[in-house]
Amino acid sequence: MKFLAVCSSGLGSSFMVHMNIEKVLKELGITGIDVDHSDVGSVSAGDADTFFVGADLAEATESLGDVVVLKSIIDINELREKVRETATRKGITVPEAGSAA
Amino acid sequence: MLNDYLTADTMLFASDVDGWRDAIHRVAAPLMASGSITQQYEDAILDSIAAGGVYIDLGFGIALAHSRPENGVLKTGLSSLRVATPVLLNDDAEHPIDLFFCLAATDATGHLDTMQELASLLTDDDLRTRLLAADSPAAALAVIHEIGTTE
Repeated sequence: MKFLAVCSSGLGSSFMVHMNIEKVLKELGITGIDVDHSDVGSVSAGDADTFFVGADLAEATESLGDVVVLKSIIDINELREKVRETATRKGITVPEAGSAA
Repeated sequence: MLNDYLTADTMLFASDVDGWRDAIHRVAAPLMASGSITQQYEDAILDSIAAGGVYIDLGFGIALAHSRPENGVLKTGLSSLRVATPVLLNDDAEHPIDLFFCLAATDATGHLDTMQELASLLTDDDLRTRLLAADSPAAALAVIHEIGTTE
């Protein structure tokens, strides 16, 4: 299973989302998911199971498949909920079912 | 580490910023002065925002101005600019910005430690709120020094 954070440049906001996904996965006790970041120009549909993008790239990344759109890329609460939803949707066990501290 | 880059010299505070172009010009200035970027980098950021690239808006009134390494990055650098009144990114009322960061990265992963700390700083509700409330480099640095101690 792979989650890929994508932004226009591939090294600013996507890197930050990448870091935060790893942080949230750890908090939630989810293992076995690879996380990486990339730029929208070089990413293609098979590169990951789920793509995480900012609202600005929602349209540009529609064709990639499973895309999660983030309203704010530094809102850890939004990200935690969306990672939790995505993991559950993908059939991954989320040990920490309640709200993480 | 973050405080290698964010210092009293690279954290700016201004009450007389004239629009988003001036904000980008000012936040890029410390990186130009330290030889981290060339004029091309500032121009690339301005061009991408003008082309609708409000992607640098992270939310919570914070923007991370940056472009690709090949657009004039000489060495990794980070600077910030706190504006007294919100600046509308690309004159777009949906993107008011209080705090600009300018990031210069030489490649996609080389600035790992710095990005980790910046992500920790900006995603922590308490630290972010206090960073936005800081009205001097000393006050902002005091918040930055707390990164890692709260987790």
